[in-house]
Amino acid sequence: MVWGTIIAAYLFLAGLSAGAFLTSSYAARKYPDAKTVRVVGRLISPILMGIGLLLLIVDAEAGLKDPLRFIYLFTNFSSVMTIGTYFISFFMMAAAYIALMELLKKDTNKIVEYVGVVFAVATAIYTGFLIGVIGAVPLWNTAILPILFVVSAFSTGIAGTMLVSAIMDKKVIHHVMSIKKIHLTLLISEVFLIFTMFLITSSTNESAAQSVAMLLSGEYSILFWLGLIVIGLMVPIGIEALEIWNSSKLHQSQAGLEVAASGSHGITATLITESAVLAGGFILRYLLLAAAVPVIFL
Amino acid sequence: MARYGMVIDTRKCVGCYACRVSCQMQNELPVEETYIKFHEKETGVFPNVKNEIIPVQCQHCEDAPCVSVCPTKATYTTKEGIVLVDADKCIGCKYCMVACHYGARTQDHNTGVVEKCRFCAELVAEGKQPACVSTCISNARIFGDLDDPNSEVSKTIVKMNAQPLRPDLGKAKIYYVR
Repeated sequence: MVWGTIIAAYLFLAGLSAGAFLTSSYAARKYPDAKTVRVVGRLISPILMGIGLLLLIVDAEAGLKDPLRFIYLFTNFSSVMTIGTYFISFFMMAAAYIALMELLKKDTNKIVEYVGVVFAVATAIYTGFLIGVIGAVPLWNTAILPILFVVSAFSTGIAGTMLVSAIMDKKVIHHVMSIKKIHLTLLISEVFLIFTMFLITSSTNESAAQSVAMLLSGEYSILFWLGLIVIGLMVPIGIEALEIWNSSKLHQSQAGLEVAASGSHGITATLITESAVLAGGFILRYLLLAAAVPVIFL
Repeated sequence: MARYGMVIDTRKCVGCYACRVSCQMQNELPVEETYIKFHEKETGVFPNVKNEIIPVQCQHCEDAPCVSVCPTKATYTTKEGIVLVDADKCIGCKYCMVACHYGARTQDHNTGVVEKCRFCAELVAEGKQPACVSTCISNARIFGDLDDPNSEVSKTIVKMNAQPLRPDLGKAKIYYVR
């Protein structure tokens, strides 16, 4: 693995940070009362991106020894990494500003927030393009990968925000049902995207077929099936579907509405679901880097 | 302006590793680090088999993916078509290593800089041959100007119908006789 666990963690954190920013912006508009979700999303977003960037710097050994070289990162516009550097810079500036305003309890500038939303989406997409444009690794070199990364980024972003929100305020998570519905849709899409990607790419190319075989039945099969599919996707899909089902039943009766409004359910289900999604998001990126079989050139 | 390239005749290569050792000496590389990697390929069904030893190094692609992905412009192509790394600009992100079709790049863990075959640019500038070429005991390697139709390298490519390893992966400047 040329790019190992550190880069997997960076890709995961960048997606998570972008997703958390979007979740907070959505919550700010849709649920002005659910203040915790908005504040948590806004605060964790720049922190997580910052940790991701630190990991990146640690992995770039030559730059670590001579940090002024990182300025050159802005120079080659034919490189996806350079374009990503711009995206992340703008995203970080907007996210840091919004977080600062939140801490100072001041009103945020709407335009800065919209700029942040645009560059959050750009950051999430870029992590997919970064490895998607690599022709030398057929498993990555597919149009589905950037879409999969975006869906996964948004889903881990929701998970991270909801997890911290649940710990801060037990009631708030039961008031943001539409976020849970979006989350469920994203998780189901992710299952579909993973299998579409594996099915199509493995039938076009020998190296990609080897990569897919490593994941489905080879070296990484336990991590893939148990870690990604069961824990990262099936468990959260199951719990989230049940929660949405139960909540829609509650709203059918007056007594149920009162229970729902009081927010008296526990947060165990949320804690399990969101931690599982976060674990799955990291495992997905780790596996894609680990199973990267290069083109056979002989 | 010359456009440098090489022919490697795998039928003449005996796998003695002299090219690799001289390359390591020329570039002052530690024992475990090398710019030339040896691959073996067996084709056919017993008893009709062919065993090839294929030395692989940077192919100095004309449209090199390492050059386009490098975010810092540390990797660049010279006017003579040699792909080089500017050790003062490389941050060691390893994007070029991931992008290289031939796995021809290696990271120096003392400096963190990614390096690879440089066609011995400093020797070539003096009009000499790259170290791997001048040291090859069986003359399996020929180096020269691909744009000069009378150069030995151009003539050999035509005479022996030498081909890049994977022409579909880009325009390489190392041609193989296999």
